[in-house]
Amino acid sequence: MAASDVLFRVKRYRPESGGRPTFQDYRIPYRNDMVVLDGLNYIKDHLDPTLTFRWSCRMGICGSCGADVNGQPRLTCGTYVRDVRKGAVTVEPLSNFPILKDLVVDFDDFLRKLASVTPYIVRKDWGDLRKEYVQYPEDVEAYRQQSLCINCMLCYAACPVFGSSPEFVGPAASALALRYNRDTRDEGADARLAQLNTKMGVWECTFVGECSVVCPKDVDPAAAIQTLKFLATMRHMRRLLMPGSSSR
Amino acid sequence: MTGREYAWKRRPGWWLRNRRYLMFQLREAGGVVCALYGLVLLNMLIQLRAGESAYTAFLNLLRTPPVLYLNIVLFALVVWHALTWFMLIGKAQPIQFTRQPLPWKVVFGINVLLWLGVSGAVVYLIFGGI
Amino acid sequence: MERTSFDIVVVGGGAAGLRAAIAAAESDPELTIALVSKVYPMRSHTVSAEGGTAAVLRDYDSFELHALDTIKGSDFLADQDAVEFFVARCPEEIIRLEHWGCPWSRDEDGRVSQRAFGGMSVKRTVYAADKVGFHILHTLFQTSMKYDHIHRFDEYFVTSLIVDGGACTGVVAMNLRGGTMVAIQGKATILATGGCGRVYEFTTNGFIKTGDGMALAYRAGVPLKDMEMVQFHPTCLPGTGILITEAARGEGGYLVNKDGERYMQRYLPGKMELGPRDILSRAMIQEMKAGRAFEGPYGLYMGLDLRHLGAKKINERIPMVRELVEKYMGLDPIHELIPVRPGQHYIMGGVSTNGKGETTLPGLYAVGETACVSINGANRLGSNSLSECLVFGAACGLAAAAFAKKKASYPRGTAAREALKKEEARVFDGLLSRERATETVSGLRVEMQQLMERDVGIFREESALADACGMLGKMRDRFAAVGLADKDRVFNTELTAVLELDFMLDIASAIAHSARNRRESRGAHSRTDFPQRDDANYLKHTLAFRTDGPPRIDYMPVTITKWQPVERKY
Repeated sequence: MAASDVLFRVKRYRPESGGRPTFQDYRIPYRNDMVVLDGLNYIKDHLDPTLTFRWSCRMGICGSCGADVNGQPRLTCGTYVRDVRKGAVTVEPLSNFPILKDLVVDFDDFLRKLASVTPYIVRKDWGDLRKEYVQYPEDVEAYRQQSLCINCMLCYAACPVFGSSPEFVGPAASALALRYNRDTRDEGADARLAQLNTKMGVWECTFVGECSVVCPKDVDPAAAIQTLKFLATMRHMRRLLMPGSSSR
Repeated sequence: MTGREYAWKRRPGWWLRNRRYLMFQLREAGGVVCALYGLVLLNMLIQLRAGESAYTAFLNLLRTPPVLYLNIVLFALVVWHALTWFMLIGKAQPIQFTRQPLPWKVVFGINVLLWLGVSGAVVYLIFGGI
Repeated sequence: MERTSFDIVVVGGGAAGLRAAIAAAESDPELTIALVSKVYPMRSHTVSAEGGTAAVLRDYDSFELHALDTIKGSDFLADQDAVEFFVARCPEEIIRLEHWGCPWSRDEDGRVSQRAFGGMSVKRTVYAADKVGFHILHTLFQTSMKYDHIHRFDEYFVTSLIVDGGACTGVVAMNLRGGTMVAIQGKATILATGGCGRVYEFTTNGFIKTGDGMALAYRAGVPLKDMEMVQFHPTCLPGTGILITEAARGEGGYLVNKDGERYMQRYLPGKMELGPRDILSRAMIQEMKAGRAFEGPYGLYMGLDLRHLGAKKINERIPMVRELVEKYMGLDPIHELIPVRPGQHYIMGGVSTNGKGETTLPGLYAVGETACVSINGANRLGSNSLSECLVFGAACGLAAAAFAKKKASYPRGTAAREALKKEEARVFDGLLSRERATETVSGLRVEMQQLMERDVGIFREESALADACGMLGKMRDRFAAVGLADKDRVFNTELTAVLELDFMLDIASAIAHSARNRRESRGAHSRTDFPQRDDANYLKHTLAFRTDGPPRIDYMPVTITKWQPVERKY
């Protein structure tokens, strides 16, 4: 194979034909600064227009382009071919999700889970709409990391627990729950912890930790889940030992 | 004319694909081992209560090579299990004195030192006398 | 059976669309609102906005000043009544978003921070590190989950509007995941599909920015206003076109040529790097023409120098700039120059609306980059666009809600059924069945993009524009021969690419013809053959109406209230 060529091995699945997903090989021109997404676009534009995949921003912020590249969940727009091109670049749809077509997977389940953790500010009294709530820089820093989640689903693809227990609330949804719990403007921490203090909430997690390894935005969902376990337990003990006290 | 979704199937041997998955499985296996160790210690108490000959027979059993090697392997798994728990502590309950919480590696290090210290004290008590 | 008849149908799930949906939802819990988007809302291109969003929040600022900056920035083409409405409502939108959890960066005293930005005379740009679009979008999307009566249609590609009895009564959309078409009826329809940057070859815009909403309105007889006003952002990474935010300059960055000189002193000594984007982009091209640019594998470029800002400031205020430059250029801005060049970024023009988002078609609204109110005129100031999405998103949502409440009954189903049948025939029996031969969607698209880049770019002149108009007409004919290899109906992204190219050819034609007819230079529209601004003849908005041939160009007056046009000097 010429140094100016690279072999892409892409998993294909045609929903209207049925059958099983199969690999298809494509040989494409290689550039030193190309990313896997560039390769997929080359295939679609010049070799095989039926290849189907999601993408949009090409700068790692929209979260559309997740795929398993050489077995690892990655953003195709942020994965340089030069880093993954030993032999062939294998591109498959993200693990643990039902496949809709080629590299497109169904993640409506995640959106339901996201909605279930009440991902918005909960307050009884909204106060004066002419003045912002005071929030110091260290308060913003407290939840900044979890707020960076782009909903790319790489963490769900990496999580073997989600793979065997699809009801598990999962890394990203948990991280976002913690983001709101830690936001000083929010008053909904108690309800969220109650929601997550269940078997299919945070307790299904066995801290494999792969979610934090693959996260392209360093959200560290694994740490978030362990923190939520601790907070949920504290809340539970408080309610047992001191009924009637408020949490926060 | 609508299509069918293809349900994802987990590949067998998924945990061999990636070093971190393998370490995780070993860590989980270590939990079982810890439980087994507990049973061994329990049995030791039972033999102790049964009398000196029973206890001595049990200790001799522990000294046989196969059991010794087995114990070495099981001990390694228990240590790995403990270390991974220490790695978890810094992330699960961040300790914060300044703007940023203590990095998990620092918490891990402190816990390992404490562990070694306590283990050293126990060994001293048993072998060095009070 | 899924509901298909709503009070309000919002097309597009970015900042403007979500804000409109939330505004309508809050105004009345009885209203049913459909949010139809060809991507999941958190993928909308709002997410990539970096720098900030402007509002008057402090004593050193005033609505007067924000309005003046905006109108002057627009080269006096903005409608001043709309600008006055706009600046007065920015502050409450920022506060409302803050109450909804948006993580604005804060001062030491806990109040929302503001930074300097191009064309703004004081620090009024509110920011969230340098991920303002990401945080605004996720805050709005997650807040929208509060409302059960916002029904989302994720990955539904709208192919046409339903027009019944001279009013818009909804949309026909293709369910990408189901592979079927559906008619979604609404008493009011709001288009919030963003801009059309993908008609250009080198753009900061994501793949999805194909001007769908503009084309939908255009085809329904609504004029597109000021389409020639295309904004080129001065600092894009060569090759990819990835945006490097104006905030890098707002925090003190310099622009240098290959001699290490801060060349802006030759063009705008008053404001230097914080001048408006059109002036900066032109300056860059002129430096390149004068031979003072760096040369690289992707052509000529200038340098953005952040080294004097220091690691702490960069990591705190513009961390994503550092991440992007490291990842996509392999350089560290703390120690090295960032290569930058101008690229298409935004379009001031769009669907012609009034200050409430109403178009000439009753029942049809437009808001955000899709619309042209106009508050941006011939050149938009950075950080006004997100504020525009919020202010007019809210205003439009409320206006559409009021309109819907006045209508006692839902639209009759017959028009929807007919429109649905027509679209199924056009798309599934027509487009989808065409065989792929010599004319391909990607080939034609690239040709169009290169043509626009070459002939309808930063500097324009008659013969190039005439050539572009002619070529685009021919491309429209050639489009009839574009066929498809993918014959499936489920998630057919070749089909959506064809539909998008169909839209883009219309939009590109509107841009080229509008540009050709404006024989002056104003704001971002720069003609080498007519280099002066001509208020006597062209202090007016261009209107482009779709015909079977070239667009019909007409004009409408600019609303002037307090600020008489003067020479735009900084």
